[in-house]
Amino acid sequence: MTAIRLENLVKRFGGFTALKSMDLSIGDGEFMALLGPSGCGKSTTMNMIAGMEEPSEGRILFGDRDMAGVAMGRRGVGFVFQNYAIFTHMTVRQNLDYGLRMARSPKAEIARRTAAIADLLQLGDLLDRPASGLSVNILQRVAIGRSAMMEPAIFLLDEPLSNVDAAFRAVMRTELKHIQREFRQTMVYVTHDQLEAMTMADRIAVMDHGVLQQVGTPLEVYNNPANVFVARFIGAPGMNLLAGVPVEGAEGLRIDLGALGRSAVLDAPLAAAARRAKGGVQFGFRPEQVDLVAAGAGLGMTVGFVERIGARTIVHLERDGITAKAVFDNDTRVLVGDLVHLAPHPGALRLFDAATGAALREV
Amino acid sequence: MAEISFHNVTKRYGQTVAVDNASFTVADNEFFCLFGPPLSGKTTMLRLILGLERPDEGEILIDGRRVNEVSPARRNIAMVFQNLALFPHMTAEQNVRFPLVERGEAEAVIGARLKDAAAKLHIGHVLHKMPAQLSGGERQRVAIARALVRDPVAFLMDDPISALDARLREETRVELKRIQREAGRTLIYVTHDQEEAMSVADRMAILERGAIRQIGRPVDIYDHPASAYVAQLLGAPAMNILPVAMVQGGGGVIRLEGLAPAGTAEIGIRPEDIRVGAHDGHGAVAKVWEVEPLGGTTVVTLDVGGRMLRALMRGQPDIRVATAVTLSVDLGRAHFFGAGGQALRRA
Amino acid sequence: MTSAEISKDMPARPAAREADEGARLGLRLTLPAQLLVLFISVFPLLMQLYISLTDWSPLSGLGWPRAYELWNGFANYVDVAGDGRLWSALGRTALVMVVCVPVEFLLGLALATLFADSFPGKRVFYSILIMPMMVVPAVAGYMFYMLFQSGGPVNDILSSLLGMPVTVAWLSDPMLAMLAVMVADIWQWTPLMFLILLAGLVGVPEDQMKAATLLGASPWQKFRTIVLPRMKTIIIIALAIRVIECFKIFDTLFIMTGGGPGVATETISVYIYKITTQDLIWGYVAAIALVILLVLSVACVWAIKRMARKERAA
Repeated sequence: MTAIRLENLVKRFGGFTALKSMDLSIGDGEFMALLGPSGCGKSTTMNMIAGMEEPSEGRILFGDRDMAGVAMGRRGVGFVFQNYAIFTHMTVRQNLDYGLRMARSPKAEIARRTAAIADLLQLGDLLDRPASGLSVNILQRVAIGRSAMMEPAIFLLDEPLSNVDAAFRAVMRTELKHIQREFRQTMVYVTHDQLEAMTMADRIAVMDHGVLQQVGTPLEVYNNPANVFVARFIGAPGMNLLAGVPVEGAEGLRIDLGALGRSAVLDAPLAAAARRAKGGVQFGFRPEQVDLVAAGAGLGMTVGFVERIGARTIVHLERDGITAKAVFDNDTRVLVGDLVHLAPHPGALRLFDAATGAALREV
Repeated sequence: MAEISFHNVTKRYGQTVAVDNASFTVADNEFFCLFGPPLSGKTTMLRLILGLERPDEGEILIDGRRVNEVSPARRNIAMVFQNLALFPHMTAEQNVRFPLVERGEAEAVIGARLKDAAAKLHIGHVLHKMPAQLSGGERQRVAIARALVRDPVAFLMDDPISALDARLREETRVELKRIQREAGRTLIYVTHDQEEAMSVADRMAILERGAIRQIGRPVDIYDHPASAYVAQLLGAPAMNILPVAMVQGGGGVIRLEGLAPAGTAEIGIRPEDIRVGAHDGHGAVAKVWEVEPLGGTTVVTLDVGGRMLRALMRGQPDIRVATAVTLSVDLGRAHFFGAGGQALRRA
Repeated sequence: MTSAEISKDMPARPAAREADEGARLGLRLTLPAQLLVLFISVFPLLMQLYISLTDWSPLSGLGWPRAYELWNGFANYVDVAGDGRLWSALGRTALVMVVCVPVEFLLGLALATLFADSFPGKRVFYSILIMPMMVVPAVAGYMFYMLFQSGGPVNDILSSLLGMPVTVAWLSDPMLAMLAVMVADIWQWTPLMFLILLAGLVGVPEDQMKAATLLGASPWQKFRTIVLPRMKTIIIIALAIRVIECFKIFDTLFIMTGGGPGVATETISVYIYKITTQDLIWGYVAAIALVILLVLSVACVWAIKRMARKERAA
């Protein structure tokens, strides 16, 4: 178990900068998700932690130890590949004890640890099966067990669920989370799926275009996104963001949303934040945090499309080129073409600077 | 434009029955989804419709005409593959033109069709790019455009968006639905993602080992599943299925008011129909095993007498792991299943 | 949910049935060509078998269909068993095989390992490396014939290296001539080995190599536990190709030494060539050819069966 610290980490490939000055501390025993779209630099970061790539600048520390120049086989890092990279020409047992065999550990020690790991991961009955032709959740366990046999300080997982069937992903998520609890290891998990990050991670580092956007617990990044990118990326669907202009009135400050009319009066701290915006703002609210209200109040929009997905109904709304989404329970009845009026929950409003995209926080 | 029907179609491969006496009709212009776990026969059904396989029994009809013996080329059905199969060395425009050029169409016809397809799929601005320069969604639309210019009577899609990023999938499925409406074509769609199926399908067929278990609108199947099997396939988290003894009778942990129908073996409760409250001495007591906050909703896994139940709650309730809570269920929303898994209606 | 369900839901069986239908159509389409090939390959074989049971030679004054007039039963085969020159030619062939194939294999493997990674100028070196393969064997023979002359470049280089005049008559000394022939073979055929092995090496999944590295395996351990097992099939193929070709070694050698001095470099092909063109005892030649064909076929079938078994086990 080891804490990881990334200090001013930069990675360039020729003229292309894949990672721009990343600072991140990962606690001992923490499950940290690196989350972002493809090309955001999350895999590059992971590869540098593993030692597969050398940083162009900056330092990687495991505890107090600088990892510069430490070869990837010597870092004490367990790595689970996207495709698991199982040695298919070996048995499950040969996969598990591979590292110890290569290190020429005593036979008794190898047998003892294999038995312990196999027991923990419920691989006992499969030990002498060929590793080819096993199901994907068994492969995941073999891949984790193979690394765990080396008692690594840190586990790195590179999108291990991206090749898994949608129906099976939930099972795998639960399994992975419980394995992490068993091992109590520092884990770094790379994914592009915010659902995986939200359900499994202690904290999430959201990345985009080689820049770390925000670090926080799942609910922190969901509730208080640092900028419009995080606001859109976290949540399914992401946060609604409507272009608006703050307007002072007799009762207080409102946001003028163009064709949608004006927002309700903002509470004092949010109004103060809105006043700090140089130009316009992005008016943000979660699709789940809205109510339908009577005509005359709220934002009037037309229903363009309705997705009824089990317990939820996602309503796609539109007006004069402005789009928004709302999520309701499955018993809410709205029809395509309806004009509905939305009122975001008062506490759910978030404002972002239109020019920089950064959140306008209450001070 | 076409109506596609299966009449008691069976397809065997040796001892394996891939499609088992399947009957259904896909209406003209319908977005029809074949949904089921792997090996349930979805892909075989697509191959039968395309004409790549012949049924051993039964009839396949397109617009009422038997097509069992009609070759794939003459059925005029377009297939959009999972890997999209664009030619990497051609621009998007050359890709879209390809089928028409191959067919020797006049340049005027090609131009008109290209313009029409590009407008419908909103790809006018990327036509000059190579496939490698396109985003996943754009590549998707180019592939569909290439199928569309052939003017097929129906589209078949085999899990076309499963390779995309999660966020892109959510956007693309809505896009697909819009495209299907605007293109005005019958679309038969295979997926194993229940959320995707419920989102896009006008109607869907639920498959199990080659047999059709239920056909209907996604909402109707979700609300009135024909069996425990169907009930557990739709919805995330999946429906909780409990032996009736746990719910009623002396050892009952969860109390339901009223009586279950005669012959009930299992009771199904959707995660969103379980109410969880602070422990106040009333109702069933459960221990909180796991809390997964998703932001808009929270999934709570509860240990009820050694059995795990999942509850889906709105918002971000303050529920802590390892605490005791009370849970209750509205009987009106429970589902009842007989010993064979078949759904029973309350009297 | 269990294992099998993860794969796409294409039923496992259709391939078999489709393959059946496909095979039948395929047979009908290719039947004429197949018959032609059968005729071309089987007819000479039968003709050879027939002649091998006679004393027929082109000087006998009979057309070959009338060779039965010179019927001698299995006498040719009895002669084959007692032909000392044949067996020593076979021994020399085996020697070339035992020396050249392993050397070519190890050199090829070393080069392939080197070329599996990228380094500056790789493409140029690559082109240079596979050039020997493109040289017509006869030209290669002539090249090495020149190189190994007593006043030739090989001796020149040795002279300057050793600082004293070296005038070894390479191709006139029985031992050295054999050595020269082997050097030529290794020069010409290491590239083929390299190409085949490189193809196999590139096919080893990179992630598995990285995984092994992360588990602390040394380069040699990775090679032994990941690369070799994964390349087993391709290695067997490469070795089989070269072993079979060793039996056919002829052109380069013939131009360099003509099988000499004496019979010092006479391999099986050279011997057959000589008795065919000089002694003109074709019935006997046919018997030798059939015996070798039989031996090689048995060896090949055995190797392929072994390979198939390994494949199934994997």
